[in-house]
Amino acid sequence: MAMHKNRLLFTKSGRACYISHLDLMATFQRAFLRSGVEIWQTEGFNRHVFVSIALPLSLGYSSDCEILEFNLESPFSFDEVVERLNRALPEGIHVRECYEAKIPCKKIVDLDWTVTLEYDDGVPTAAPAALRELLGRESCVIQKKSKKAKKGYTELDIIPMVKSWSLEEQPDKLIFSARLAAQNPGLNPALIIDTLAAETPAAKPDFVRCHRNEVYGEGGVVFR
Amino acid sequence: MDPKLERILLRVQKPARYTGGEYNEIIKDKAEVDTRFAFCFPDTYEIGMSNLGLRILYGVINEMKGVWCERCFAPWGDMEDELRKANLPLYALESGDPLSEFDMVGFSLGYEMAYTNVLNMLDLGGIPLHSDQRGEDDPIVVAGGTCAYNGEPLADFIDLFILGEGEEVNCELIELYRQVKREGGNRLAFLERAAQIQGIYVPAFYDVTYNADGTIHTITPTHGAPPLVTKRIVRDMDKSYYPTHTIVPSTEIVHDRVMLEVFRGCIRGCRFCQAGYCYRPVRPKSVKTLVEQGIESCKDSGYQEVTLSSLSSSDYRGLEAVCDGLLDYCEPRNINLNLPSLRADGFSMSLMQRLQRSRKSSITFAPEAGTQRLRDAINKNVTEEDLLKSCQTVFEGGCSAVKLYFMLGLPTETDEDVLGIADLAQKVYWTWRNHAASRARGVRITISTSFFVPKPFTPFQWEEQISMEEYQRRVDLLRGAIHNKSIQYNWHETDTSYIEAVLARGDRRLGRALEEVWRTGGKMDSWSDYFSFQRWMDAFAATGTDPDFYARRERTRCEVLPWSMIDVGVRPDYLWQEREQAYKSVITPDCRVKCMGCGAAKLIPGGVCDEDRR
Ligand code: SF4
Ligand code: SF4
Repeated sequence: MAMHKNRLLFTKSGRACYISHLDLMATFQRAFLRSGVEIWQTEGFNRHVFVSIALPLSLGYSSDCEILEFNLESPFSFDEVVERLNRALPEGIHVRECYEAKIPCKKIVDLDWTVTLEYDDGVPTAAPAALRELLGRESCVIQKKSKKAKKGYTELDIIPMVKSWSLEEQPDKLIFSARLAAQNPGLNPALIIDTLAAETPAAKPDFVRCHRNEVYGEGGVVFR
Repeated sequence: MDPKLERILLRVQKPARYTGGEYNEIIKDKAEVDTRFAFCFPDTYEIGMSNLGLRILYGVINEMKGVWCERCFAPWGDMEDELRKANLPLYALESGDPLSEFDMVGFSLGYEMAYTNVLNMLDLGGIPLHSDQRGEDDPIVVAGGTCAYNGEPLADFIDLFILGEGEEVNCELIELYRQVKREGGNRLAFLERAAQIQGIYVPAFYDVTYNADGTIHTITPTHGAPPLVTKRIVRDMDKSYYPTHTIVPSTEIVHDRVMLEVFRGCIRGCRFCQAGYCYRPVRPKSVKTLVEQGIESCKDSGYQEVTLSSLSSSDYRGLEAVCDGLLDYCEPRNINLNLPSLRADGFSMSLMQRLQRSRKSSITFAPEAGTQRLRDAINKNVTEEDLLKSCQTVFEGGCSAVKLYFMLGLPTETDEDVLGIADLAQKVYWTWRNHAASRARGVRITISTSFFVPKPFTPFQWEEQISMEEYQRRVDLLRGAIHNKSIQYNWHETDTSYIEAVLARGDRRLGRALEEVWRTGGKMDSWSDYFSFQRWMDAFAATGTDPDFYARRERTRCEVLPWSMIDVGVRPDYLWQEREQAYKSVITPDCRVKCMGCGAAKLIPGGVCDEDRR
């Protein structure tokens, strides 16, 4: 399909983190309909307003940089679209920007993440060391569940997909910031933490929060 | 959000059920709220949010200044386990506060099989289970909905029942609560004064004594409560609240669409139908109101489907005008208009065909009984001719699937009536053979039978339910009579219908059994994932309860029924008269053809029901 003309950059936070990818699309479809901003509808038997969200976010994650594609068919200015949509969206979904799409979404290369590892009884000493050791390796091949693969999983070396990272230690949490491959294949930060916990059970956090900060295209340029 | 809750949510299925935060959710500043009401729906979020009554009451109560109404649904098993493990109480979605912190907690009782969920939700919410265990700091627990007309099995657990339509009475009740609180009155004072409001039934204020044979001897009001509690109705539907501005869930629910109520009540008196009698008399909305509300609701929600949800929408006089008005708005915007409860008559069929821009591939009819004699006995005014004509119309239009709903075990039913179902299905098949637009694709005729449950406030309230073995025999008889591969037969399981029959006409002594079912793990009993017949039978045995006493016993005319202190408008002697007509297979004209003086007219000022006769 041809590239869609317009994009929204939106945030997902708080209670909205629990809206699944499919439900989020329905939520946007209805939000467009109630906002009065007309957008392109699919043709045929079951017509509906068309929206597409790039790089589905896992349930429970928050983000500052989600991208939704659509084709505007109203005379509204981009600012007005933003304003109207924000009035029509549920709590926790907030449109930052509406603009014309210039580069196709398949050119997205990396995502910046903040991953917070929470430890109720304080960070175990083993944890930061183990994480550093893991990320310092030349290679780390893990098995990733896959419905398509015959064996039920595929093998994936996660190290080349970690482009850069840093680690901040606090008494009861580790804040792991990383730039990870976005697609083909992408690396979900949970995979790194799962690998850490499997290799070093003492380093297993009580809870992990994942937040997407920014999207990058080719050459490390912010993607819009 | 509670950090403990955050952790749980990612471990359960469909967490969006438990978060709230949807579009149009109402959040109030606690500093400006003096009374908090938790509307509890004893089933899942997806089912509860599809209930129009919930949306109406949520809106009505939240229109009151200083009052905040929130929502709470029954958690699925995985969530319940997590809540209990984390020691978290069941909470309302808006604020996240536990049910125990509310002033009032109100349950909507739509079906008997949700009763165990009521107990489970009270327990999860940190509220003492029994009314008489609740202290001054505990919420007042109220319940309304169709099952509240005979809420006796829940009498130990509910402080007061709201009978009839809650739009006005809920607000009156809350106002009274605030007043009593201001005056420094206690729980008892509130309940005593609440019992004086029309439509409020406080079970603790009625003493029930029993005869040696287990039937009720007398029901005596105490604390100044009235001997007969009359239900409340909304008199003017045009002036009543309708939620055009309502919550749009962020996750898929059962009915993701605008629900328009063309009227309350039903003009027909099908003799098995509790809703038909309990919601009398019929009160329509005007065409103008409906079109306005429909358009407004579409704009506000972004829904692309409108459905007319009333008991028998095709009886609405202005149906065509409403459809025209709505179509003018809907068609250019690709919004679908649906009429779910259609009668098998020519008018409805032509209307349906106009509405269906994309042809419906399947259509449903509910003749309920297989022969004209039995249809007359139950006063289901559908003739074979109407049904076959309607089928002809839809087959000619290209439809290739018909679903037919029946009940087995109806009073006076004989084997001939059972076999009549197979005959009727075969006739539908021949209609298809003769009239199908194309026979290439074949036809699918599906027969479903449910197991008849006699309900209070119907002419069949005195009947016994047939035994489960007998139901099964009739199922087998019918199965044996179907020889056509295009006709498929589905029948409901007997177990749930039997338990439903016990509860529907139960008295307050069933409370112990209900509690035992819950204590031994009973919940979500309307879901086959959870329902256990054995658990119920064990609980009956453990509490010395004879379930057949409730389900399988014919009552005499003079027996004091457990719900005889409740007045739905229709007089018991009218119901008895209808029962006699049923035994003679004599039909009763509908309210529009002729008023039979059932008693419900007294609820309307001027004492005449139908708008045209006034
Ligand atoms: S038409 Fe009959 S079955 Fe339907 S709601 Fe009315 S009385 Fe009940
Ligand atoms: S009083 Fe007459 S018109 Fe009114 S509900 Fe009863 S039978 Fe129908």
